[in-house]
Amino acid sequence: MAELFQTTVRVFWKKEGRIKYISHLDINRCMARALKRSKLPVWHTLGFNPHIYTTFALPLALGYESECESVDFRLTEQVPMQEVVDRLNAVFPEGMTAYHAAPAVQKPEAICWADYQIIQEFDQVPAEQAAQAFFNWCARPELPVLKKTKKGERTVDVKPHFSVQEMKAQDHVLHLSVRAAAGASLNINPTLVLDTFAAETGIAADWQRVVRTAILDGAFHDFR
Amino acid sequence: MRNVRKDLERILLQVQKPSRYTGGELGSIVKDPEKVDVRFAFCFPDVYEVGMSHLGMKILYALTNARENYWCERVFAPDQDMEQLMRERGIPLYGLESLDTIGAFDFIGFTLQYEMSFTAVLNMLDLAGLEVRSKDRHNLWPVVVAGGPCACNPEPIADFIDLFILGEGEEVNLELMDLYLVCKKEGCSKQEFLRRAARIEGIYVPSLYEVRYHPDGTIAGVTPQEGAPAVVHKRIIRELDKVFYPENFVVPFTQAVHDRAMVEVLRGCIRGCRFCQAGFIYRPFREKQADTINRNAHTLCDNTGYDEVSLTSLSTSDYSKLEPLLNEMLTWTEPDAVNIALPSLRVDNFSKELIDRVAAVRKSSLTFAPEAGTQRMRDVINKNVTEEEVLRTCRTAFEGGFTNVKLYFMLGLPTETDEDVEGIIHLAQKVVDLFYHLPDKPKGKGVSVNVSVACFVPKPFTPFEFEPQDTMENLRRKQKILLETVRSRKINVKYHDSPTSFLEAVLARGDRRLCPMVEYAWRSGSKLDGWNDYFRMERWEDAAEVCGIDLAFYANRTRSYEEIMPWDHLDYGVSKAFLIRENEWAHQDATTPHCRDHCAGCGANRLLGGACFG
Ligand code: SF4
Repeated sequence: MAELFQTTVRVFWKKEGRIKYISHLDINRCMARALKRSKLPVWHTLGFNPHIYTTFALPLALGYESECESVDFRLTEQVPMQEVVDRLNAVFPEGMTAYHAAPAVQKPEAICWADYQIIQEFDQVPAEQAAQAFFNWCARPELPVLKKTKKGERTVDVKPHFSVQEMKAQDHVLHLSVRAAAGASLNINPTLVLDTFAAETGIAADWQRVVRTAILDGAFHDFR
Repeated sequence: MRNVRKDLERILLQVQKPSRYTGGELGSIVKDPEKVDVRFAFCFPDVYEVGMSHLGMKILYALTNARENYWCERVFAPDQDMEQLMRERGIPLYGLESLDTIGAFDFIGFTLQYEMSFTAVLNMLDLAGLEVRSKDRHNLWPVVVAGGPCACNPEPIADFIDLFILGEGEEVNLELMDLYLVCKKEGCSKQEFLRRAARIEGIYVPSLYEVRYHPDGTIAGVTPQEGAPAVVHKRIIRELDKVFYPENFVVPFTQAVHDRAMVEVLRGCIRGCRFCQAGFIYRPFREKQADTINRNAHTLCDNTGYDEVSLTSLSTSDYSKLEPLLNEMLTWTEPDAVNIALPSLRVDNFSKELIDRVAAVRKSSLTFAPEAGTQRMRDVINKNVTEEEVLRTCRTAFEGGFTNVKLYFMLGLPTETDEDVEGIIHLAQKVVDLFYHLPDKPKGKGVSVNVSVACFVPKPFTPFEFEPQDTMENLRRKQKILLETVRSRKINVKYHDSPTSFLEAVLARGDRRLCPMVEYAWRSGSKLDGWNDYFRMERWEDAAEVCGIDLAFYANRTRSYEEIMPWDHLDYGVSKAFLIRENEWAHQDATTPHCRDHCAGCGANRLLGGACFG
């Protein structure tokens, strides 16, 4: 197992533009095909129907863009890391860009936090008003949010798991920087919190853009 | 021209599978609109997953885009949820590459794969913000064109389409676009462009033909106007081996129905099954060289990253060099972990070793299409398959570990008796018995024989174009006979809905008096009729009544050999004399050998300017 972990390459890539509407499952298949096109010496599963095996440390919600995605796979031969990046970029579809490759250091379980940049546009209300309302809503001692999972629904108090780092309102546009719990044990999508706010207050954005800007470990260092 | 990127951002997370509406797939071609002269919206009148499986679209997309100054984009029918949002928000239909609305493109081209998509064509024109009737669109552009198999009788939608492209599009599409560019520069009217287009071989401009009728409703004559040719001949590619083939496909993110690399091995069919329209309208038979096919396949797999490639055609086992081709392909597909799929394979012609190495047989069930239950009936339809062959194939399959067999049949074939209907089940029973009498049958498992029965639809350009379709009552009665004949629980019978087949029969052999009915059905809500969930027969019955159409006149009437068919001024190679001869033979239970065995003189070789073989 240790050996397997050591030979795993982790490629960091961006997901920008219209490709944000491609689900995690479809990105998975897209990545396998990209690796196939790249002709990199990627390890295939054994057996009757051999295929490329990839893992993603932290799946991205549908509709989000990201500056810090990662994908892991195993190489069967030594390849310079910059070449891995270049060869993937040559075959990626529009909106996917690799920018760094290195042997994987941490396990996905090390992930604790993620940072997001959010832009919201309001057709009806001034952004200032939305910002004020959101600030007050977040200032309550508890922030109960209904979270749907495969196992069912449960209410989570996101107060300890969600914080607004920065908020800026201008005309009808609201900019937010947010840090939220991330990882396999508890993952809070910022839009879940914003949607709850919108449902409770009636202040809903007419358009929004969410970009994941960082994935962090427990010590707030970039996931490696 | 308007770009809808920002409008889409507001709705895409509210619809099912948004990736169908975003474009940006690998292999999709984006050009600078300032640098192109002609913009072509290639419309597939069905949803993304269906349209993205279609090989013809991939070929013409790549071919058009290979011309630097032409830009072809893909457009599919939005599903109901998306259409509703688009209409609510006033978002017109757009091209997936540019996200520009297509209403002001130079061309809007539809591929007509099945009659049930006709209303989807109207709906897409409307979603694009255009008038659906050709005569209400006055500007030169967009020119609304259509091709594909249903263009062989386009009369039921003749009022909506400016011109039809008959036959294979690789050459004629570009000729048409070249002519358009000249006309656009000269400032021609739409009428003038259509007049000139009608002089290109393979182009049919329906508005240039006047149709007269006898009092009994049959056609009295079709007169060309303004110099249009009396007969329009379909186009073919004579040297198939030299034809353009894409080096890359658009690779969808979401899974299409057929999501793999595809290479074409041959066009046409040597078999001559009398019910099969494709078997006649794609004649003459032409093959590609094995080297070319192998190269096409390898390039495509390298460029797309697909791990499966299929060898497609109407009947791939009729390819003369299949075994050498497969052996050549296996030299790279095995190390690259690519599967070879053979969709229409006859298993009995091949060595067991080769079969084990291709993917088609790795599936857990085997399909076979005897089409009819008795030998007499199979002779009538010229399906040259014997009971022994069916049983031998099933035996090979069972011995190879299969326990699931799917058999395809048709109901309502010309001259069919109740005995022929019962024969379907008797044949299925023999397959069940065969299984239980095999000494080395798969241990510990039962057998399951699935009988799938479709209703026969008489089609233009087949020897059965003269035949009535069985009435719905009679088809239902025959479906009951099927069920009552079943004696074994190992046999499962599944049949297709008869109303859909009835409407298909009406539209397939309809004339242009059906246009108002098609429009009425669309206006009352028909749009994705190919999908059972959306199809409502009542809408069509209402439309027929309002428009004064007797549906039975089109579906259930026998045509005499002398009658002028709505498509008789279109030439697809096979001659009417041949179709009549074949029809007579069918009524005498007589078969016709396949083309390689003996040329039956269908007339399609005229398009080649020589004999088909040798
Ligand atoms: S001309 Fe003869 S060989 Fe050629 S397609 Fe017709 S019947 Fe077959």
